[in-house]
Amino acid sequence: MFEAHSINAEHKDLIHDVAYDFYGRRMATCSSDQFVKVWDQDENGDWNLSASWKAHSGSVWKITWAHPEFGQVLATCSFDRTAAIWEEIVGEVSNPGEKGMRHWVRRSNLVDSRTSVTDVKFGPKSLGLLLVTCSSDGVIRIYEAPDIMNLSQWTLQHEISCKLSCSCLSWNPSFSRLHPPMIAVGSDDPNPSTGSKVLIYEYSDNSRRWSKTESISTITDPVHDICFAPNLGRSYHLLAVATNNVRVFKLKPLQESGGVVQRFDIQTAAVFDDHYCTVWRVSWNVTGTILASSGDDGCVRLWKANYMNVWKCVAVLKGDGTLPQTEPTTGTIAQPTLLSSSSSARYYKLGSISHPNQVPWH
Amino acid sequence: MTAKTMFVTQEGPANALALNKDNSQVVIAGRNVFKVFSIEENEFVESCNLRVGKNLNLNFSCNDVAWNTLEDNILATAATNGAVVVWNLNRPSRSKQDHVFSDHKRTVNKVNFHAIEPSWLISGSQDGTMKCFDLRVKEAIRTFYSNTESVRDVQFCPHSTPIFAAVSENGSVQQWDLRKPERHVFQFSAHSGPVFACDWHPEHSWLATASRDKTIKVWDLSTAKPSLEHIINTIASVGRIKWRPQRKYHIASCALVVDCSINVWDIRRPYVPFASFDQHKDVATGIAWRGDPQIFLSTSRDCTLYHHNFKDATRPADKANPQGISFNTQGDIVYSWRVNTSTNKSSKLPGLLRRNAATSDDFVNANSSLSYFKKSNLGLKGDNAFLLCAQRYLLTGRPLADLCDHNAAVAKDLGKTNVSIVWSIIKTLYTTKVGDFGQQTPSREDAQSATMSTGHIDRDKKDEAGDIEKKVNKTPNNEKDDYENEEDEKLKLAEDPAVSFGDFFFGDSEMDPLSIDFERVGNIGLTGGLVTTTDRIDIQQPDWTLPTEAFALRHELQDRSPPPEQFPNSDSPDLNDEATALGVEDQPSSLLCVSWCLRLPHWDPSNVVVAALKHHASQGDIQTSASVLLALGEKRRSLINNAELDESTQEQWLLAYIDMLTRFKLWDVATQVIQLSWIMSVCQLNQQSTTVHTSCGQCDKPLIRSGWLCDRCHTANSAICALCHRVVKGLYAWCQGCSHGGHMEHIQKWLETNKVCPTGCGHLCEYT
Repeated sequence: MFEAHSINAEHKDLIHDVAYDFYGRRMATCSSDQFVKVWDQDENGDWNLSASWKAHSGSVWKITWAHPEFGQVLATCSFDRTAAIWEEIVGEVSNPGEKGMRHWVRRSNLVDSRTSVTDVKFGPKSLGLLLVTCSSDGVIRIYEAPDIMNLSQWTLQHEISCKLSCSCLSWNPSFSRLHPPMIAVGSDDPNPSTGSKVLIYEYSDNSRRWSKTESISTITDPVHDICFAPNLGRSYHLLAVATNNVRVFKLKPLQESGGVVQRFDIQTAAVFDDHYCTVWRVSWNVTGTILASSGDDGCVRLWKANYMNVWKCVAVLKGDGTLPQTEPTTGTIAQPTLLSSSSSARYYKLGSISHPNQVPWH
Repeated sequence: MTAKTMFVTQEGPANALALNKDNSQVVIAGRNVFKVFSIEENEFVESCNLRVGKNLNLNFSCNDVAWNTLEDNILATAATNGAVVVWNLNRPSRSKQDHVFSDHKRTVNKVNFHAIEPSWLISGSQDGTMKCFDLRVKEAIRTFYSNTESVRDVQFCPHSTPIFAAVSENGSVQQWDLRKPERHVFQFSAHSGPVFACDWHPEHSWLATASRDKTIKVWDLSTAKPSLEHIINTIASVGRIKWRPQRKYHIASCALVVDCSINVWDIRRPYVPFASFDQHKDVATGIAWRGDPQIFLSTSRDCTLYHHNFKDATRPADKANPQGISFNTQGDIVYSWRVNTSTNKSSKLPGLLRRNAATSDDFVNANSSLSYFKKSNLGLKGDNAFLLCAQRYLLTGRPLADLCDHNAAVAKDLGKTNVSIVWSIIKTLYTTKVGDFGQQTPSREDAQSATMSTGHIDRDKKDEAGDIEKKVNKTPNNEKDDYENEEDEKLKLAEDPAVSFGDFFFGDSEMDPLSIDFERVGNIGLTGGLVTTTDRIDIQQPDWTLPTEAFALRHELQDRSPPPEQFPNSDSPDLNDEATALGVEDQPSSLLCVSWCLRLPHWDPSNVVVAALKHHASQGDIQTSASVLLALGEKRRSLINNAELDESTQEQWLLAYIDMLTRFKLWDVATQVIQLSWIMSVCQLNQQSTTVHTSCGQCDKPLIRSGWLCDRCHTANSAICALCHRVVKGLYAWCQGCSHGGHMEHIQKWLETNKVCPTGCGHLCEYT
């Protein structure tokens, strides 16, 4: 199902984030070595390094692409307490027809945080050019570029303190105008007594403020990554959370009488314990139907809901590519002899739901 | 030895601290504080306050303090007024001041005792000199001129007794020999900014330097030429550095500004602090290891003195996310993960791995691999079904039954059986029962445009006896005429379909097959000619989506200027009136009948259809939901009226589908969806911010000031009329196919008799 290819990234330290652009033909990586690299895919499908530069004076934690409507724009955030906006520009050429040299320039440096900036994300295109950052001292900052043609000017629109060290955030990408702008934030605070580690903030047009509308109380372990599923046409939202396991939550907006205050009916759609270790990342495919998770076990696991809305593991990919194991269910032939073997039995466990109270919502 | 993190707060910030030789006492010194503490198990106990006496002059204001390496009662301070002061704790009087050396002209930055000859004291001053004092004779025995503005730090080499290093604000490092005061042994430029501190490695011939350029550099001075061994990049100017005892590669640093934490780095992994101490509320001013690699003390501008233990350190690397994962449009996955080079394979237990990472060797082995999982095409068509469906689906321009049949076939061909069935059911529900009229309900826009062009044909035929060319000749030199021109163009092409099949045509001409076919379908459709129509269209299939788009884009921009026309309700009466008046009964009658007939069935399928569409949408198959809605055309109104499918949901689906299409770069399909849309906010997507940028044909520089003269190359070559070869300074008519053009009148005259481009490029030009 998948061919594994290794890319020699040549980062001198850990790679903390990889991000595809909107079309999936460019890729950016960032690392503790303070460098950002941009890769372009050629016609053969091979990835070629197209740019590499020292972006920060500390580890670069996250990297994210803006919608191409705004140009080739990247945002990075770093241990050095800043977030930066980068734009690729094409140099002037002497002869017409010649291709200009392309290079990345820093358009803006957002220096409001007093601690490490742990995540940065561009907002949905429909809201204009918005950027949200969160920092390890628990402050969420929402910036806006009032003029989308001028990426050097960003105004700090909102500053929200959530009092917990933030590690990750995600915009709700819904296209529906019934869904107000929404951000989910995860905290890596190791202390379980500080309560919920997933907070949901919504923007209210009436009060012109962001306010916390929900917190998912069942998560008290540190959260390492959080991701809203792309919502192409659902009336509810799916939120994946990477903590000591993988969890998927279904958030169904409850329309209250006035239609002003929206709260959610939050249900746990799935819990997967298969990594048996810290889960670091979760990511959705573009249609929001397949969830990928990766943990300290060095495996990427892909999850998909079946027609009964029961989530199952559909593939396990080994990071080093040596053992790209695929889930036998693709063939739907479950040989009884294999069932007894330990490896196969493990697969069957993958899709199971670990807790009885997670089932009855469908 | 105590192992607890503890602190004491003072009345003022200390600039420096020093430990006595057995590490049991600490002295802190600043502008307003000068105290000795003994370090107890759980607390600091003040043993002596040296800032006493009636004459508290600037001699008490300290930049630095040093504890004698042999005698436990002797201290030296570097005063801000340029004095070097020696203190004797054993003096019986309250004042412990022993001697004041006033040799320096400016403030003294640093004092240090010689390790082996404890009566020797060296100082580095802002006046650019270093002085060696002998406490026995109580005078400066040597002066070293650095030839720099100021000396920020001076440190005796622990390996070679007469050697010391000095760093300066100009970024240079000097090595001196006490015996040769006339000239430094060597000097090199170490940093691009002022160097604030240096520290000799306790065991190796390494000198670390700290600078305002945010770096710590480690130099090997054993060779003739100093070589740069390591660079640590920190986030702020580095104020102080101290090697960690018994750990070859570890060095502690504190920043001068911004960063309040004290970081311990492993020079082999120079990007992430090995450990971080965040207790201080302001920047730290001094660091001193207490002999033990686990314990050190620090002073800070927040007026505290801290006793730190490594067990209370934070490990920034542990919080760092070691993995990255991302999906792209094609379903490929890119994955980066930390490579465990350690052979410890037994670490299957959760948590064990993380704990190992805290040890130094694992910490240093920080490498990531990057893998790319390409979703392999197993030769199945279903792999990029979205893309192919989007390209092959027909959404308009034919009777619904046709559309459904076609789309069902496409879906089936691509292995999407469920979707295929949906299309078949839609066909069954909406076409068979009501018979003929249902077969040709095009979307509103098409009906409208078709009616309008037919209308024009009729009218024009009456008015102008079909003399199309004549109409084109009419001087269309202002915007008002554009609309008419457009119609004329259409008209002309409608009259002469052959023109439109030139394979190099772009732009308006390609809309043509559609309207013509549509009319034909309109005529044939009723008489059971469906099969033949389908067959005929199948031949042209690949051309179907693009022509619609190319035509309607331009047309609608003009057509739609009064927004209220967008609404079907306000629109349909006109449409019907016009249509009936013109006697083209097929389309209007169907339009009229839809709403009427749909009320007829005993069973309203709307709820089922909506449920099906919602199901597909929730499964991420927005393509089916959006396509069915689009293909249904006017019939979708029943879904809206009879079932719960509110406009915002429809909008969400369309926007989501458009977003997906743009991800796959299917701009033509996306544009078609926008055009076929019945929701205001979606329709307008095409009408926003369309700008035509002009550039000089010679040098590619954008034309800013005028349209005919380039600011850079000062030529007007790009604006020359193809016919009269003069510069066009007013309206420039140009062909979008070959981009040649010229004066409007000339081009018009030329086209009266010619069809090809006047430049002779061979292009069959279209001026619209």
